[in-house]
Amino acid sequence: MNAPHRWVLLAAALALSTPATAATPAMTPGAVTGTTPARADFPVLSRPATPSAHAPEAAMLAVATVGNRLVAAGERGIVLLSDDGGASWRQARVPVSVSLTALQFVDGRTGWAVGHLGVVLRTDDGGESWRLQLDGIAAAERAAADPAGASSAKSGQSLVKDGPDKPFLDLQFWNDREGLVVGAYGLAFRTEDGGASWTSVMVALPNPDGLHLYGLRAGKGSNADDLYIVGEQGLMLRSTDRGRSFTPLDSPYPGSWFGLTVFDDGALLAYGLKGNAYRSADRGDHWDKVDMPTDTGVSAVTAVGGQALAVDQAGAVLESRDAGRRFALVQRTGLPLTGAAFAGSAFDGSLAVLSSLRGMAPLAPAP
Amino acid sequence: MISEDALGQPPVIARLEDFDRQSGSRLERLLFNNRIAVVALCLIASLFLGWQATHLRLNASFEKMIPTGHPYIASYLAHKSELGGLGNSVRIAVEAADGTIFDKRYMETLRAISDTVFLLPGVDRPFLKSLWTPATRWTAVTEQGIDGGTVIPDGFDGSPASLEALRANVGRSGEIGQLVAANFRSSVIFVPLLDVEPETGKPFDYRKFSQSLDALKAKYEPMGVKLHVTGFARIVGDLIAGLEQVLLFFVAAVAIAFLVVLAYTRCVRSTLLVMCCSLVAVMWQLGLLSLLGYELDPYSVLVPFLVFAIGMSHGAQKMNGIMQDIGRGTHRVVAARYTFRRLFVAGLTALLCDAVGFAVLIIIDIKVIQDLAMIASIGVGVLIFTNLILLPILLSYVGVSASAASRSLREEADMREDGQESGTKHWAWRFLDLFTQRRYAAIAIAVAALLAAGGYRVSLDLKVGDLDPGAPELQPDSAYNRDSAFMVANYAASSDILVVMVKTPNDQCTAYRTLSRVDELAWRLRQLPGVEATNSMATLAKLAGVGFNEGNFKWFELIPNEGALGVAQTIAPRESFNKMCSLLTLYVYLQDHKADTLARVVAAVEEYGARNTDPNVRFLLAAGNAGIEAATNIVVGKAMHEMLVWVYGAVIILCFVTFRSWRAVATAVIPLVLTSILCEALMVVLGMGVKVATLPVIALGVGIGVDYALYVLSIVLSHLRAGESLSVAYYRSLLFTGRVVMLTGLTLAVAVATWYWSPIKFQADMGILLAFMFLWNMLGALVLLPALACFLLPRARPVADAADAGAKKVLV
Repeated sequence: MNAPHRWVLLAAALALSTPATAATPAMTPGAVTGTTPARADFPVLSRPATPSAHAPEAAMLAVATVGNRLVAAGERGIVLLSDDGGASWRQARVPVSVSLTALQFVDGRTGWAVGHLGVVLRTDDGGESWRLQLDGIAAAERAAADPAGASSAKSGQSLVKDGPDKPFLDLQFWNDREGLVVGAYGLAFRTEDGGASWTSVMVALPNPDGLHLYGLRAGKGSNADDLYIVGEQGLMLRSTDRGRSFTPLDSPYPGSWFGLTVFDDGALLAYGLKGNAYRSADRGDHWDKVDMPTDTGVSAVTAVGGQALAVDQAGAVLESRDAGRRFALVQRTGLPLTGAAFAGSAFDGSLAVLSSLRGMAPLAPAP
Repeated sequence: MISEDALGQPPVIARLEDFDRQSGSRLERLLFNNRIAVVALCLIASLFLGWQATHLRLNASFEKMIPTGHPYIASYLAHKSELGGLGNSVRIAVEAADGTIFDKRYMETLRAISDTVFLLPGVDRPFLKSLWTPATRWTAVTEQGIDGGTVIPDGFDGSPASLEALRANVGRSGEIGQLVAANFRSSVIFVPLLDVEPETGKPFDYRKFSQSLDALKAKYEPMGVKLHVTGFARIVGDLIAGLEQVLLFFVAAVAIAFLVVLAYTRCVRSTLLVMCCSLVAVMWQLGLLSLLGYELDPYSVLVPFLVFAIGMSHGAQKMNGIMQDIGRGTHRVVAARYTFRRLFVAGLTALLCDAVGFAVLIIIDIKVIQDLAMIASIGVGVLIFTNLILLPILLSYVGVSASAASRSLREEADMREDGQESGTKHWAWRFLDLFTQRRYAAIAIAVAALLAAGGYRVSLDLKVGDLDPGAPELQPDSAYNRDSAFMVANYAASSDILVVMVKTPNDQCTAYRTLSRVDELAWRLRQLPGVEATNSMATLAKLAGVGFNEGNFKWFELIPNEGALGVAQTIAPRESFNKMCSLLTLYVYLQDHKADTLARVVAAVEEYGARNTDPNVRFLLAAGNAGIEAATNIVVGKAMHEMLVWVYGAVIILCFVTFRSWRAVATAVIPLVLTSILCEALMVVLGMGVKVATLPVIALGVGIGVDYALYVLSIVLSHLRAGESLSVAYYRSLLFTGRVVMLTGLTLAVAVATWYWSPIKFQADMGILLAFMFLWNMLGALVLLPALACFLLPRARPVADAADAGAKKVLV
């Protein structure tokens, strides 16, 4: 086809031409107050999420199960809570209005959410209320102050100049103190004190091109100190020391990974563009292609025990009952799906909810 | 000796030769001593203006119906050329009679219709949109970025494969609910219209356009499709078509008026004459309108009827006066002069009141109302010539039938024998006479006060704006409103759209500071009851973030990076921003166009705009049909009070000039106030809002209502000044002018009530309201006026007490 190529070219041309325009002072938000972008230029960083009756229909980007509660996060700082398996939702108190991309709880009360403009939020009451621990401006300053070398300091400086335009895309916490957050253009920060302070670990990542980091997961069982990162253009990294140092893995696929899931038995499932999914039973040394009944990008895979649900961008919901070796089509929802979560402790065909760009949706029981 | 005595009873002069031709005012002498010349001049004027009237056109223009001076509309008009599809437009839904739109024959028919519509005069062609236009594109986010093309696949030939490609493209076009119905059984041709046809430079011809649409229906409906058309142009087309029926109502009203007046006078020739003079007034009015370059629109088309009705009312007064004088034995020419003498000033004041009442509508910054005001004022001005001057002169030639004349005097004769009331007084007069006594007057005033208080309470709920879904101008079961219901049922896009315009410096329409504010405002508006959805470049820019990053949904955000945001321009539809990238639109889709909904949205935008201090991002209201309606509501709501102040102010001043007594002014005006209050309460009860169609009625009601008061009170006052009791004075005025007031009040009320059956809803509404006002103003003039006079008029008081005693004597 001819037309699509033209569009891609157009977009590319625009992308190339815009830096030139961005150079005109009025165009950069930062120029309002000087060379360094100020928080005042990004009101979404200080504007609490608007309570809205329409929040459950907003674009939601992630959903997780916390005990018997479902917690979903999405655009405009919307965090939704449901204590009835997704039948009804209420909105949590969130101090920012940015899109939240991922969330994780370490117990029934404490959890973190990350999102755009370099935002990291923490809750200690099961998701009812959240407080801001890091934003893109503070993150850039930390990176600039990183003592780990000249090259990193330079990239830190450019981060400061760019302003908070980079999102965090995934997170991994081992407990209520220790965790990592990763994001676009190789953004990666680590905390040892539950988010009170953050240090850049960007230098520790063998990611010279500054590729987007989409997935971050710790190993399980005997490999609990392992940490895996997947990202753009087949990027695959492994740490065996809880994220202090990383080594690249041989990726079985050169396209972009959108995420990674770790099963209880330690098996890894990496998934991404065009229905690509690969499984590894040996900590990522070898990968087997998983035959997914979709050719659309896989947005998310969620697993409990040997069961897993995968959702794709065109609305297909896939199910695996053998720890991710085979997936079968459950349903085509037609929604732009972003995530799935089991409402109970096990999937029985009716207890799952889906997040999508058009809001939350229950997964109807399979016929 | 010939002189008019203060009682208004000039000497009876049977022979014309005994009459002093040089008596009376200079104007009277000028007119009546040159009767032939006056008649000849009028004849020439009638021929000329009648010929002119044949050139008068029926039309309506979009911009005439909106308040062009309001800042919202000024912003809209200033930016209209930069943003297509925001103004006047129609939507044509082409429904596949059986099956879906993914059908070779359907698509071919659609193309044919789309092409035909494209060529219709007045269509804003670059912005016409249907499945077949190149502007209709699909966009999809893929792993390669943003993909897109025209919805009609390249080389479409109607084959199953290309139909399948079409189905896929429609699915990802985002047009489902916009251009294509969710059930795939119909699709829409969106037709933006221009105010001036570029080929001819003439104003857009709604009638012709609507007829072209009817021709389209006739041509293509047999080919397996059904056409549903909505939009202002179609409404106006239907209204103009409905006007033919208005003519029927006009004929019916004329017939009713004729029959009632005839039944009252039993004199065919004079009744015919009164009617002819009123019709001549209408003819002159239409001729003058054509001469002055006015067009009749669906609103002002009712004005000729009003002019006729007012003419009948004044004409009947003249005829009654002449008839009584002829009955007394006075020669017809002298009788005409006497009546001219007695009633010209009252008639002139009344007509001036009417004219001012109409003219006051000019302060309302909506062209159709201003036109209506001008047209009505011209018509009333014409009545001064035809019914105050020409009619008495013609009556002086024609006279009245002898039997009718003597009949008219029978009651008065009874009274004149001893100057006191006799037992033969008509029961109605006896009843009305009660209100000149303090006790009954007090009761009447108390009832009026209660009604006013209750009416005022109810009228507090009076809403501004349209309250019904669809086109409130037309009846709910009209073809148009069925088409409108089809659109609402099949298309997600609400037909009530308010557009906020966002102004930025050049090339900054996709700047982060712009889009983040637009996005914030959009989300705020979404929270308001009645807002169904919003759409803007910000929505697209969020998707562009996704498209820019291999389609990963986690990028769904306004990325604060100008490069990333700039991409949105490539996928944004043309109507969402201008060429210079200095203007954005925020579409707000509403559930309805009720005034409350509009007011809420407007207030929220105003509030946000005021709080947003960035001088480079300004929020301008308002475009879209709902935006224009919001501005109209504001103007109408403000004008309603202003207009009442002006119309009452004018009426009070004119009454004062006539009566030279504030007490008399109060006596005349208070009944009108009661009618105005009750009219508003009635509107609440009937579920009518104050809008372009009903606003004039309120002013007209006051203007016409004051006629009655003027005719009755002027006679009462002259008799009171002559020392008669209120009871006698009132009785005399009842016999002289009061009974005609009653007659015309009833006649006009019945005649306008026939509009209730009009296919045009606002005419039905106006009919009900006007009938109500005619009746209440009549009751006010006959019941409340003497009651108020009893307490307010200083000279009435002592004499009225004496009359009280006299009345008791009579009752014994």
